[in-house]
Amino acid sequence: MSAESVTQQRSVPPATEAKLAEESFLTDDLIRQLINVGEVDIVVGLPTHNNAKTVAPVLQAIQAGILKCFPRERVVIINADGGSRDGTPELITGASIDDVSHAYKLHALRTLHAISTQYGPTPANGPALRTILASADLLRAKACAVVAPEASTIDPEWIARLVRPIYQENFDLVAPVYQRHKFEGLLLKQLVYPMMRAIYGWKIREPFASEYAFSGRLGSEFLAQNHWEDDARRAGPEICLTISALSGNFRTCQTFLGAKTTADRSSADLVAALRQTVGALFSSLEPNFAIWSGINGSQAVPTMGPESEMTLEPLRVNRKRLREMFCSGVADLQSVFASILTPETLAQLQQVANCNEEEFHYPEELWVKTVYEFAASYHKAVISRDHIVQALAPLYRGRIFSFLAENRNASAEMMEAAMERLCSDFERLKPYLLEVWNGRK
Amino acid sequence: MAIKQDPLWYKDAVIYQVHVRTFQDSNGDGIGDFPGLTQRIDYLQELGITAGWLMPFFPSPLRDDGYDIADYRSVHPSYGTLDDFKAFLASAHERGIRIIIELVLNHTSDQHPWFQESRSSRDNLKRDWYVWSETDNRYKGARIIFLDTEMSNWAWDPISKSYYWHRFFSHQPDLNYDNPEVREEIWQVMKFWLEMGVDGFRLDAVPYLVEREGTNCENLPETHAILKDFRLRLDKEFPGRMLLAEANQWPADLRPYFGDGDKFHMAFHFPLMPRMFMGLKLEDRKPITEILQQTPEIPSSCQWCLFLRNHDELTLEMVTDMERDYMYDSYAGSKGMRLNLGIRRRLASLLDNDRRRVELMNGMLMSLPGTPIIYYGDEIGMGDNIYLGDRNGVRTPMQWSGGWNAGFSTADPESLYSPLISNPVYGYQAVNVLSQKRSEHSLLSWMQRIIRVRRSTPVFGAGSIEFLYPANHRVLAYTRKLGNEVVLVVNNLSSAAQAVELDLKRYKGNLLIEMFGKNLFPRVGDLPYLLTMGPYQFYWFRLRRI
Repeated sequence: MSAESVTQQRSVPPATEAKLAEESFLTDDLIRQLINVGEVDIVVGLPTHNNAKTVAPVLQAIQAGILKCFPRERVVIINADGGSRDGTPELITGASIDDVSHAYKLHALRTLHAISTQYGPTPANGPALRTILASADLLRAKACAVVAPEASTIDPEWIARLVRPIYQENFDLVAPVYQRHKFEGLLLKQLVYPMMRAIYGWKIREPFASEYAFSGRLGSEFLAQNHWEDDARRAGPEICLTISALSGNFRTCQTFLGAKTTADRSSADLVAALRQTVGALFSSLEPNFAIWSGINGSQAVPTMGPESEMTLEPLRVNRKRLREMFCSGVADLQSVFASILTPETLAQLQQVANCNEEEFHYPEELWVKTVYEFAASYHKAVISRDHIVQALAPLYRGRIFSFLAENRNASAEMMEAAMERLCSDFERLKPYLLEVWNGRK
Repeated sequence: MAIKQDPLWYKDAVIYQVHVRTFQDSNGDGIGDFPGLTQRIDYLQELGITAGWLMPFFPSPLRDDGYDIADYRSVHPSYGTLDDFKAFLASAHERGIRIIIELVLNHTSDQHPWFQESRSSRDNLKRDWYVWSETDNRYKGARIIFLDTEMSNWAWDPISKSYYWHRFFSHQPDLNYDNPEVREEIWQVMKFWLEMGVDGFRLDAVPYLVEREGTNCENLPETHAILKDFRLRLDKEFPGRMLLAEANQWPADLRPYFGDGDKFHMAFHFPLMPRMFMGLKLEDRKPITEILQQTPEIPSSCQWCLFLRNHDELTLEMVTDMERDYMYDSYAGSKGMRLNLGIRRRLASLLDNDRRRVELMNGMLMSLPGTPIIYYGDEIGMGDNIYLGDRNGVRTPMQWSGGWNAGFSTADPESLYSPLISNPVYGYQAVNVLSQKRSEHSLLSWMQRIIRVRRSTPVFGAGSIEFLYPANHRVLAYTRKLGNEVVLVVNNLSSAAQAVELDLKRYKGNLLIEMFGKNLFPRVGDLPYLLTMGPYQFYWFRLRRI
């Protein structure tokens, strides 16, 4: 028994505690829980906000994945909650590991903690991830996986597929590859993935996924960046993390997770989704100009795991409304577009808007130039940056209308080829981005 | 100091396990003996133990270190004579130390005259003293225990041209307990030693006495009936003597061995021991609390026997496959450290000679519910020799000093029954009683202190236990309570310092008195009681309302 040990009852006055807490975004209660957890090998983050209806099976799959694939490792599940009023945190902290042990016939070698904390007054992905990152950092986790609470297709194997590349193969970021319906994730397929690929030179299919994993090293570096109050990072920290990995000296890979049938949280509201993804991507361009401006072409990253064969239910899309919103947007926002786009591009867009439904065609090259001109205008802040991002919404709808019409009967292979063509256009036209960026157009 | 008359003496006991052969050689033949043991009895008294458990010392071909008995009523000539044993017993009793001897009930050596007679002819009067068969297909439900050496529980006897039953080595034929003559003869053997004054028996391999077709031949009701009958006779003729069961079983299967307080007084808690090591390595109390939660209540006159290491391998029979793999990877990286389903290493070497972990494990041993057993040499941190066969690596000579043969024997070193441990870390020059006696900070001195503190209160031997489950899973905390006396035990299983908040609301107003230094700690209030603990540190607090 060493002499240096001390004991004390908690005698810090509440007022002092409150003052101390003000200086940190982590609550005292979370700190107390982290002390009890102690150093861990793996953190599984579960950001939630009113997910009581879906979170139980997700949690059970996470627990089973840990027991099955990481029985010896010290693991903690950290729920960062945005102020749920439906009992989500209680469901998570109250879930018994015994149920999982019985259901999956798995025995827990060690204690598996599930802790919960509320990170702030308003729900947002940024503060949720920041809380998870800070917890993982304090607990010195080697790997951290984040799983969405509504991941209805999750199975226990996901945890292994996300964590193993980091824990055993020293990767720093694991992005998922989902099998999606051909018309699902169109913002990703038509804009974010091709542009990210062209800008940063790496083929990451899901740069802003709701399931991903990262190393303690990447997590710590990302946490230390002081941009957590920026709108882009508050809304879309996932893409910022991917960009940090791609622009830094970090090893990135992808892992097949299987079907992703849940709509992205972002897709319900297009403007919010654009802020979360495109806004974050645009805002990353300025500080990383020196990195991306010299990159040509793109490279594949290692992809782990078996690609599962799965036929997904067709997705219904209301195409007619897309075109209407595009046309009215081009008409109503003409003055805004005039400040963002070059006259040539704007004129071509107006031509497209004047076409009837049968003749409507928003060509890939025009779409790429549109996006690049928006990015350059965002850089120059010709108008409010948030307005720039919002103004992209009607044009995106027009592009999607055109894409759906052209690929109504396309097979998976044809869709893949079409996306590859679009990616090539983004890469080919990257010098155009540099031109408009530097103001020569 | 004379033996106190206390029928429940075993509940407060601190037992020291020793093999006569290993402790002290008095006649220079290289083998420990009873006169040597008697010479060292003062050492045991100073250590503070209250009972000694002697491994089998009977005449034997020693093919299983004495667990193959060839004569139940005598002493192996290498260890001395019956008179030497009596002198030792008297000497121990004079110092207040009770002596428990070991009887192997299930089987004898194949050299025992009973077996020689039994195999000599199918008509011999002792033919039915063993379990014979024309076929080796009977009792197929019985598992093979020594998987590394035995292919079957049946062995062919070329003399009587039939098979005989053996649950252990093939040179250890099982006695036939269905035969009343065998039961009576074994009772007469027990009586022989009880009349001499021994205080109890550790009965070896008790689950296997009776065989029945269609069962696993373990823990059968017929076996329990025989054990109950032995206990009845013991209580009637020798009150205050004790029976200790060696039954490597799950707690629920062990519970019937206590009966209603009318079978065994004590039984080893085999599943707890590997889980203490597991909890330490995992830095997680879960394995320990889990197995103790599964441990059934036992009659108030009964007691669990707890141990960290003994003369056998660290048995991993009572763990899951996943836990066994973890234990092997954690504690037996080299294949040579493994034997059967276990690990043949001593305490100090299992714990990388880390004094803090050795102390923590002993702290738990002494404070969890049960009677602790210390394996000889572990009190000074002796090491092992995995290059010796079978379990002999943990049965090397006691290291008394850094001199000739470690002070164990005056014989030529080459003639010792076993080589001494001589490596620079655990060798007798570095680890021995003499040098540790000279330092009050040695492991030996520390062991003396913890035994003294344990014996300062009956709460550890007879008190109830209640786990506290603080949110910090690296901390194992419990209270032991007997009448108005409450002791709080807090163990940090982690290699790092820990903070822990304990819910002691029910003890509000009590002062905590640390039992080793007798220092006062703050009074328990309304808030959770916060303790900060160093790596592998533990506290014993006496709660006092004043």
